[in-house]
Amino acid sequence: MMNGNKLVRVESLSDLFAKSASCKDNFCYLAGGTDINVQISKQMIKDSTLYFISNLDELKGILVNGDELVIGSGETFGNIINSKLVKSKVPFLSDSLVNFASPLLQNAATIGGNIANGSPTADATPLLLALDADVVLVSAEGERRVKLCEYFTGYKKSVLKKGELVKAVAIKIEDGKSYFYKKVSSRKSLTIAKVSLAAVYSKDGDKFDSLRIAVGSLNEYARRLPKVEKVLLGGGSDDELKKALQAEITPITDLRSDAEYRFDVACNLINSLRN
Amino acid sequence: MIKFNLNGKDVSVDADPLKSLVRVLREDLELTGTKIGCAEGECGACTVLFEGKPVTSCTMNLIHAEGKDVKTVEWVAASKLGEVIKKAFYEENAVQCGFCFPGFMVTTYHYISSGGTDDRESIKRALSGNVCRCTGYEKIISAVQRACNDAKGVK
Repeated sequence: MMNGNKLVRVESLSDLFAKSASCKDNFCYLAGGTDINVQISKQMIKDSTLYFISNLDELKGILVNGDELVIGSGETFGNIINSKLVKSKVPFLSDSLVNFASPLLQNAATIGGNIANGSPTADATPLLLALDADVVLVSAEGERRVKLCEYFTGYKKSVLKKGELVKAVAIKIEDGKSYFYKKVSSRKSLTIAKVSLAAVYSKDGDKFDSLRIAVGSLNEYARRLPKVEKVLLGGGSDDELKKALQAEITPITDLRSDAEYRFDVACNLINSLRN
Repeated sequence: MIKFNLNGKDVSVDADPLKSLVRVLREDLELTGTKIGCAEGECGACTVLFEGKPVTSCTMNLIHAEGKDVKTVEWVAASKLGEVIKKAFYEENAVQCGFCFPGFMVTTYHYISSGGTDDRESIKRALSGNVCRCTGYEKIISAVQRACNDAKGVK
């Protein structure tokens, strides 16, 4: 037993719910394992029950449903990046994810895991926030949809209830939008963001007609910046922009970067989006 | 007992299903070509082909392999393309200490066999999950370029 952890196989979601309902231990879900195994070896996950969900077909699939692209939580980044459907319907996502972690990790890591793990530096989250994605959550009680911008509630905390898991991500397919994504880090790939910023917008000349901006690594969880969006949509001054940004981000100093640098980079990225 | 196909043969392993795949390969199946470097998915020394795609076997558990197809550097090295890759790395002096080489070898095998070209930028991207700390990447990239060209017609 690795650090007192126990693995349980499940055949389907209903099997999972039946088994996890009576589980008295802490429990979590094991999909691709790229985050969970690091947490096991650092003893951040111990004496827990791990439900192995990697083979569940109910969590797989990339499809178009009405005006939405729906990606199963168990799909790997490799599958998403190489999906012709993603490339044709939401090219922003596949183009921006090319430098996610490394090709080796892309072949194992899942989009559901990236969201559920809840890291403030998760690469997929700012992109999905800028795309105004919904997450589909599933439990024994059935499914519910939550806007991704309302999913996180704190550092590695979310609205997920015990026994509930991320089933899919739903992205509205939009035509005629422009995209901006920049991940600032110490290497081009296989790296963790110091700051990341994603935006989906449309412009008439210099003026924004529509705009959604999301940032990662600047708060306890990745988030949209509604105040900054409002200033930019209203054509506000640089001072107003800086104030809005100050009100919405709380960068920290850690081993990867410092707070002041992160703030300046965020300002610069927003300015390059504006100009 | 967990059963899977390893290097073309069916194997069964009696070990903790949460044991990391690289440790199962090395300790239970005595295939020590696959190396443990960082043990957290960053260095690529443990790269194996999982269902034909390169992954870091240190971030996978034995359970992931159940019923699947896993190929290690031992299989890759014995293949015709593996021979071409080894020769190209030798010719370009692209292996110094050799610790990262099994991982580079597996990733390069996948890159070439899935149609990768000798374009240096494409090679860099494909190899970006494999870290080398002594030879330097320029020689490694040149070796992969050479292998791409030498591999034409080799299956």
